[in-house]
Amino acid sequence: MNKSKNTYYFKKMNLRTKTLLIISLTALILIAIVINSFFIEASSLTTNFPMRNMPPSFEHIFGTDWMGRDMFTRTLKGLGLSIQVGAFASIVSTIIAVILTFVSRLNKYLDSFVNWLIDLFASIPHLLVIILVSISLGGGLFGVIIAVGVSHWTSLTRVLRAEIKQINTFEYIALSKSFGKSNLWITGKHFLPLVLTQIILGTILIFPHAIMHEASVTFLGFGLSPHEPAIGIILSESMKYLATGAWWLAFFPGLSLLLIILIFDLIGDNLRKLLDPTKAHE
Amino acid sequence: MNKKYLIVLAVVIVIGIIGATMFFGGSSVDRNPNELVTAVGAHGGEPETGFDPIQGWASETEPLVQSTLLKRTHNMSLKNDLAESYSVDDDLKKYTVNIKNGVKFHDNTTLTANDVAFTYNKAKESGAAADLSSMVNATAINDTTVEFTLNDSDSTFINKLCSIGIVPEDSYENGTYGENPVGSGPYKFVQWDKGQQVILEINNDYYGDKPEFKKLTILFLENDAAFAAAKNGEVDIAEVPLSYANENVTNMSSVILDSVDARGISLPFLNDTGNTTEDGIPIGNNVTADENIRKALNYGIDRQTLIDGALNGHGSKSFDGIGPVLPWSNNDSAIEDGDSEKAKQFLKEGGWEDSDNDGIVEKNGTKASFKILYDSEDTTRQAIAISVSEQAKELGIEVIPEGKSWDEIDNGKLSNGVVWGYGSLDPSSLYHQYYGGLAGQDYDNPSCYNNSAVNQHMAQAFKTDINASYADWSQVSWDGSTGISPKGDAPWLWTSFVDYPYFVDNTLDISENTTTVQPHGGDIFGNIYDWKRVES
Repeated sequence: MNKSKNTYYFKKMNLRTKTLLIISLTALILIAIVINSFFIEASSLTTNFPMRNMPPSFEHIFGTDWMGRDMFTRTLKGLGLSIQVGAFASIVSTIIAVILTFVSRLNKYLDSFVNWLIDLFASIPHLLVIILVSISLGGGLFGVIIAVGVSHWTSLTRVLRAEIKQINTFEYIALSKSFGKSNLWITGKHFLPLVLTQIILGTILIFPHAIMHEASVTFLGFGLSPHEPAIGIILSESMKYLATGAWWLAFFPGLSLLLIILIFDLIGDNLRKLLDPTKAHE
Repeated sequence: MNKKYLIVLAVVIVIGIIGATMFFGGSSVDRNPNELVTAVGAHGGEPETGFDPIQGWASETEPLVQSTLLKRTHNMSLKNDLAESYSVDDDLKKYTVNIKNGVKFHDNTTLTANDVAFTYNKAKESGAAADLSSMVNATAINDTTVEFTLNDSDSTFINKLCSIGIVPEDSYENGTYGENPVGSGPYKFVQWDKGQQVILEINNDYYGDKPEFKKLTILFLENDAAFAAAKNGEVDIAEVPLSYANENVTNMSSVILDSVDARGISLPFLNDTGNTTEDGIPIGNNVTADENIRKALNYGIDRQTLIDGALNGHGSKSFDGIGPVLPWSNNDSAIEDGDSEKAKQFLKEGGWEDSDNDGIVEKNGTKASFKILYDSEDTTRQAIAISVSEQAKELGIEVIPEGKSWDEIDNGKLSNGVVWGYGSLDPSSLYHQYYGGLAGQDYDNPSCYNNSAVNQHMAQAFKTDINASYADWSQVSWDGSTGISPKGDAPWLWTSFVDYPYFVDNTLDISENTTTVQPHGGDIFGNIYDWKRVES
């Protein structure tokens, strides 16, 4: 009864409300994970050897690992870290992308330079760039965060640059110029409002990439110590115990990572519906 | 949207594959009964420089391909192998060995005293094999007699006669020998697939007791891969990490061997005064340089809890890193550990107090906090580091474990705690661990310990006949007033001896009552001469 009533309400909502609801709900999940992971104290991650390799139960819903640590807490902590790395990487990447885009607008030499820079970075496999940068920064969490941060700006820069080139051909831009408006004024008043949607969407869509790459790098063993909870480390460690039948070590953390990625994709798609005028009628 | 379905599909496939391997992977592979397939050597692993004794192959273990002058029996006594007899001069500066006549290398050339002298001189040159620093040279007097001249009295040199396999002078080539070794041992080299396996076959002309197995394949599988191979019935014997020791494998039984291989944490003995080594490695740590911190850890850490947890119950307490079966072990090194009251007493005496109520003690504004580094590949060391860290926190000392590669550990080994593994059948290893003059060189004396009384005991031991010298070596641990054990200066936090867990096929008998004493790295092939097939 109750359920059908709910679906009824859901159906009655218009698309805009529905989209907003999805966005806020999913965003809430993500924020809850991050806040939660902040409050997980080191003491709840300590070893408890008598409880080693326990399958999922009500006490440990994700089971325990070979040192008897609760996998749910570890996964949560790891996901929190992933999302933080993702957030940092998205913001840094967006800032780099925006700066490069507007630099490219200044003159054609800078434009070729930016274009060359994009091609250069895009031509090296992503993971390699991340590994190289993180090692050259001395490894550790710091290295991983910075490396993921400085390696995800290429696609967004390319989109923004194309957008700017198109806007540049509009008549009112030429008009503003002949009225003697400064470059800065034109950028602020004419360009920024038009590319803002792209910037916001771009930022959100970098998130899943950044998280996946953080997981890959820690999976390969770069950066963090093997006892620290990062989703990649948890997954690579779980591989060692699959032969003993401990499937829960890989299954739940892997599924959680997948869900987080899907949630970001969902937010991105729905935000586009709201913000992108060309998709407003879908 | 397409991308999402692809991701979901990929996950389903991966889970499917994993599930399938878990359900169908249990089939066993048929082998000829006189063939032996092993996955052992998880601690030593595949030798980087090949099977070349001059480059360090098998310096404490059975070399299989080569043979040594002397061998150790299961009760640690020495027996002649290539040697027919040997004599030691009274001043312990000259060792003379008569070798067996007419022993053949695998290429059918004859092994003479020249080959022995060549091998030892080359090994000294390379420096990668056993420590031959006390040897001036080795000379062949005639075809069957070789003379080792030392620059100083060294009673431990007798151990070096067990640790280097003899190579043929005529065909030895630096750099290529390791990939195609020729020796006089029980097994002939057939092929080495790098990263995978080495195949050996029986040497029918072997001068000693021949092993029963005609063909020996050593797979270079480590940790979980070795366990998986055991589970799939691909190997006759597999060495696994301690965390797998309590698993069950069909058709295999678990054999757990005691070892003298100890795990301990070096605690920098000197203060950090900005000094570095010639290579720029920083020396010293202001927290661990305080004797009270080191003693608090040594008395406060409960080693039994650590063994029950981190070592899965397979280990025994260690206070000085010297195995109880070794003739130079010292019973007086033992203390009552796990005594947090006593640990706190030490901290109090040293002026360490928790003034800001964060659970960690301080002294003059310095927090009792230091790092311990562990090899990130080694799960046992990881578990030890974490257990010590958790226990130390209860005492008020913050120990931060960090997993690193050995290259990274090298740069921090003199200024942080490091989880090491040590266990040698040669007492001169103590000299490398604690002698003040060797502080910080390579992997020698990483805590940069220096105590003139301890140095004196070691100097004395070198000058004393080997059997009498054990008394001097044991005084290194504790001589009634000082030493390296917890009652003395405690420059290390020794935790435990680790057992070596193997899964052995039920049709294989590895003759557990003749197993040699397992040093660091293990020596499972030490008694391969006694292994046989049995009805399961």
